[in-house]
Amino acid sequence: MELREFFTEDAIKLDLQGSGKDEILKELIGLLGLDEKSQGILFKMLKRRENLGSTGIGKGIAIPHCRSLVVNRLRVAFGRKTEGVDFKAIDDSPVQYFFLIVAPPLEVSNQYLPVLGKIAGFVKEPDVAGRLAQVQTPKEFLALLEEKAA
Amino acid sequence: MHPQLETLLEIQDLKTQRRELEQAEREVQESVFGLSVDDAITTLDAKIVEMEESLPPQVLNRYRRVGTKHPRVVVPVIRGTCYGCFVQVPTALASDADRNEEIRSCQNCGRFLYLID
Repeated sequence: MELREFFTEDAIKLDLQGSGKDEILKELIGLLGLDEKSQGILFKMLKRRENLGSTGIGKGIAIPHCRSLVVNRLRVAFGRKTEGVDFKAIDDSPVQYFFLIVAPPLEVSNQYLPVLGKIAGFVKEPDVAGRLAQVQTPKEFLALLEEKAA
Repeated sequence: MHPQLETLLEIQDLKTQRRELEQAEREVQESVFGLSVDDAITTLDAKIVEMEESLPPQVLNRYRRVGTKHPRVVVPVIRGTCYGCFVQVPTALASDADRNEEIRSCQNCGRFLYLID
């Protein structure tokens, strides 16, 4: 099980437009291709998780995540906001790189926590933030995931 | 979507979040995100009670009655199957054009149903 296999190019956006936390979350959710109502419910759940404590883990990275009935399988997305956005991160730094993870309440393959852990491990590697800043296309992002899995 | 169905979905999602925090996710949430899990659980408990109390009596009573038998009171219908008891639901329900505009229950297990593709 490697991170690369969970991402698709259409769920990668290297120029997020939102300027605030809520806008960013909605934009990330929009990458999943859900219907409007499901997006709304998912947004509420992600907001509730953020209200418990920010998923910004420092060094410009956040991993918003939740489980919800409105998705039927594990879904991930990646977004980049070059100039950063205030996400109330643990280190108070602006966040530029967002990894969204959502899964249904009961997930047959039970990959949610392992994927969450793998993303956390990936982003903590010293050179990753710098590399994420340099990728030009979704394909390059995917290649970076593959490289780090090797 | 029917507003009460939306509320039921949110309650279920919150209960899932609470369960996960208390069990599987505790270590990750504390070590990666610096979350105070016990505080988070207290917050979620208060929110769950608040949302349950917002349900009208008829729905709340059914919710509680089903909840005594099944931990998951709301389940998805995926490709015509109730994902609570895995029994096929009537075709008319599974393909209803209004989808989630009404509150519906599985005729077999009684759980509230949420239709997704």
